[in-house]
Amino acid sequence: MATQTQETQDVQAHGDGHGHHERLQHHFISLDQQFSSAKLGMWLFLVTELLLFSGMFVAYAVYMQWYPEAFAVASEALDWKMGFANTIVLLASSLTVALSIHFIQKGNTKAMITSLSATLGLAVVFLIVKYFEYTDKFSHGIYPGEAFNPTGSYAYLDVPNAVQYFSIYYVMTGIHAVHVIVGMLVFAWLIYRALRHHFSPEWYTPVELGGLYWHFVDLVWIFLFPLLYLL
Amino acid sequence: MSSATAAQGSPAASKAGNQGASTYLNHKKTIRSWLLTLDHKRIGVLYAVTLATVFLLAGLLALAVRAELFMPGETIMSNDAYNQTFTMHGIMMVFLFIVPSIPAILGNFVLPMQLGAKDVAFPRLNLASWYVYMIGGALVVTALLVGSVDTGWTFYTPYSSSGSVSVLYMTLAIFIAGFSSIFTGINFIVTIHKMRAPGLTWNRLPLFVWGLYATSIVMVLATPVIGITMLLLFLERILQIGIFDPALGGDPILFQHFFWFYSHPAVYIMILPAFGIISELMTAFSRQRIFGYKAIALSSVAIALLGFLVWGHHMFVSGQSAISGIVFSLITYLIGIPSGIKIFNWVATMYKGSVWLQTPMLYALSFLFLFTIGGLTGIMVGVLAVDVHLHDTYFVVGHFHYVMMGGTVIALLGGMHYWWPKITGKMYNETLGKIAAILIFIGFNTTFFPQLILGAQGMPRRYANYVEEFTFLHQVSTIGSLVLAAGLFLVLGYMVYSLFRGQKAASNPWGAATLEWTMATSPPDPHNFTRTPIVTRGPYDFHLADEVFGPQHTGDGAGDGAAPEPAVPRKTETA
Amino acid sequence: MAHGHHIIPKKTLFSVFAALIGLTLLTVITALTIDFGVLEIPVALAIASTKALLVVIFFMALKYDNRVNALAITVGLVFVSVFIIFTMLDTVFRGDLDNVSNITISQQEREDEQLRAREPDADQLRVAPADFVGVDDDEASAAVDEAATADEAPAQ
Repeated sequence: MATQTQETQDVQAHGDGHGHHERLQHHFISLDQQFSSAKLGMWLFLVTELLLFSGMFVAYAVYMQWYPEAFAVASEALDWKMGFANTIVLLASSLTVALSIHFIQKGNTKAMITSLSATLGLAVVFLIVKYFEYTDKFSHGIYPGEAFNPTGSYAYLDVPNAVQYFSIYYVMTGIHAVHVIVGMLVFAWLIYRALRHHFSPEWYTPVELGGLYWHFVDLVWIFLFPLLYLL
Repeated sequence: MSSATAAQGSPAASKAGNQGASTYLNHKKTIRSWLLTLDHKRIGVLYAVTLATVFLLAGLLALAVRAELFMPGETIMSNDAYNQTFTMHGIMMVFLFIVPSIPAILGNFVLPMQLGAKDVAFPRLNLASWYVYMIGGALVVTALLVGSVDTGWTFYTPYSSSGSVSVLYMTLAIFIAGFSSIFTGINFIVTIHKMRAPGLTWNRLPLFVWGLYATSIVMVLATPVIGITMLLLFLERILQIGIFDPALGGDPILFQHFFWFYSHPAVYIMILPAFGIISELMTAFSRQRIFGYKAIALSSVAIALLGFLVWGHHMFVSGQSAISGIVFSLITYLIGIPSGIKIFNWVATMYKGSVWLQTPMLYALSFLFLFTIGGLTGIMVGVLAVDVHLHDTYFVVGHFHYVMMGGTVIALLGGMHYWWPKITGKMYNETLGKIAAILIFIGFNTTFFPQLILGAQGMPRRYANYVEEFTFLHQVSTIGSLVLAAGLFLVLGYMVYSLFRGQKAASNPWGAATLEWTMATSPPDPHNFTRTPIVTRGPYDFHLADEVFGPQHTGDGAGDGAAPEPAVPRKTETA
Repeated sequence: MAHGHHIIPKKTLFSVFAALIGLTLLTVITALTIDFGVLEIPVALAIASTKALLVVIFFMALKYDNRVNALAITVGLVFVSVFIIFTMLDTVFRGDLDNVSNITISQQEREDEQLRAREPDADQLRVAPADFVGVDDDEASAAVDEAATADEAPAQ
């Protein structure tokens, strides 16, 4: 909390942060205010992400209710083991992110960098598994939309409206994968900054926000996995 | 600090002191300092210039549409050109002008000042929103150059997913412009929650802030859905993913659900900030505390939330299920309640007030009249059975112009006149202002009231041609549009003139009691206030506003709003 | 500042992770072995929601956070369900107008009156197959057709 004297100084100096933490921006009074603002902003951003994905879930619900048989047949084509493995990978990465925040709060930059790197690694693993899933499907002619033409061991998928299932599958997992890639860029950037000792127990806002974002990516997958792979 | 306070000590000193003082407009002068500015006021000005340009272009397109409709048959353009013209008019006006208009211009400028904050919570995000908007605008222009878009602003499938390639650019443009809206919404919500000056409780927030708060909720909740809709439309168009295209087993009505889940709440993005402005104008120019502060504040939030439950009333004749038609129709009536509360409270605010008929107040009164017509015709088309007759006729066109233009644009004009002295430090010409306001009011009604009649008689919308019987009303409408345009150009003229030759504005020419008037110079300091305001009263407590009327309440109401030292001892700041 | 931040102990984080893995196994096992019939989706969603709640409360630390953040995400969820439910309100009942007549009410009343005004003759009183014995085929099928049309018209 800033005292009156500090506040006046701040105003007089036109907010160059005189007498304050170097990370305090001029229009905030305290680091607390700045941190909780950033966090509320992040939560609101996650709300927008939620609504973005909700469109896909609506499409899924509608077509699932119209064509349950086609969806039942189509979802069998997805290998639940791959989905399960990826679920574990993402859950583990969520744990490492939560740990990295735990470590920086205790001032342990080294451990934070380790667990951020682990998160990055797990994200790579997730995408590799996804890559194998996609290429397997593509090689059998399972494309989203018009090009959908299942062959070989997947020929049984040639039923009406299976194409809707796979369109939804590709769009949902595709958008999700884009989010994973963005998350990887975020973590690379966080690691870079951590290596330069930008973070401290007093100020680690980017790590906190990156963590929130990554947990959200995990949350989406928690719902995608049973809906797409198991039902 | 002492020198700044002295400059504000008396009106005379304030006027003299402003001469050489550094304001947000002149403390840095390079183009670069404008394009990279993080100052919410400058970003507001950037938006003002951009949006005025868009409004001018889209308005010219509207004049072209009206000119074509002056006579039956081909008048000035081919049918194809007509389709593209009204589509561009709709897309530009809706997505590039009205949705950002009030929040981006006046919200950006006024909101932090009304909160007593130095800036919005995320200044860089704020600047990014302008750049993102510009990219969206550039893509709209690209779409125009690459080919033709004639889908109407609603992009209904399957026409939009099978037509011209430039629809791709257009969907991308709207996808991107949506982010601009999201950034603004997030910024405003966080700013209102976290950046309020000491003493500024939720019950002391100016109603413009409440309006923007409700708007921001809608922006954050609805805009992502237009994002995913446009993305799916994009994929439908390039990959034929079969979600919306009936030929591939998709459902075109699903597209309408997606589209209106955003676009109906979006009309509340357009109108809620306008409500906020009208509340400010009504109370400031009636010299009266607002009637039913809490009712107005909460009805804005109620409209924002209810607005999400009614999108299906755009789809009564689309083939959606009858049960959902009935439910959507019933919930639509509910919107009338909070809107009615507002109208009632504004009228009650004027009652026994000291109404001062300056230009902004003329716009506020126009708003009352026009928005009431817009709202009531809205209830009419919200009635399931009546809508079957009126759907896709000029009645709907008239209705939404009464709400969007008669509501939002009129409120924007009122707000621009009201805050013009604060933004530019100059006064516009009051006489010309009044003439323009009356011209606009007459022109508007002459343009759009005949359209309500035309629609009731069966004139369908989006047609370049019509039967002979409709000629007279169409001609009245076209003539009205010229009067309206004359009024708007007059506004443009004297506003620009005032920038160079206008009288210098006092700090508080209207004697309003909100922080941007009582605590800041015109134009404001780069950091808004020379000291953090301490709020000890509600925004419209004129009887407590010593800084406006003087401690003995002898002021004439046109005071200079020089703020005295705060009466309460300052304690530890809380935000 | 740090004093405002709750530090979640490692032990909590690891137990939450263990619970998440357990729930993932549970959802896989129930999906593969037990047939819940129509409840299959609700069960899967319930397990997923539990997992999501764990992540939100502990990993995202909403439990120790400002209430406004929880409110924000809750409002978001409410509107996601509004989106899904109101859309399904259409898609589930799509086409429910098909059992409604598409002729106007006055037309219906006119037809009713005409039907009432018509004196039932012997032909129309025949209902059982036996009644038709001895009548020549054309006439009989015409009568049946007419009756069928009269029946169907209002319920089209």
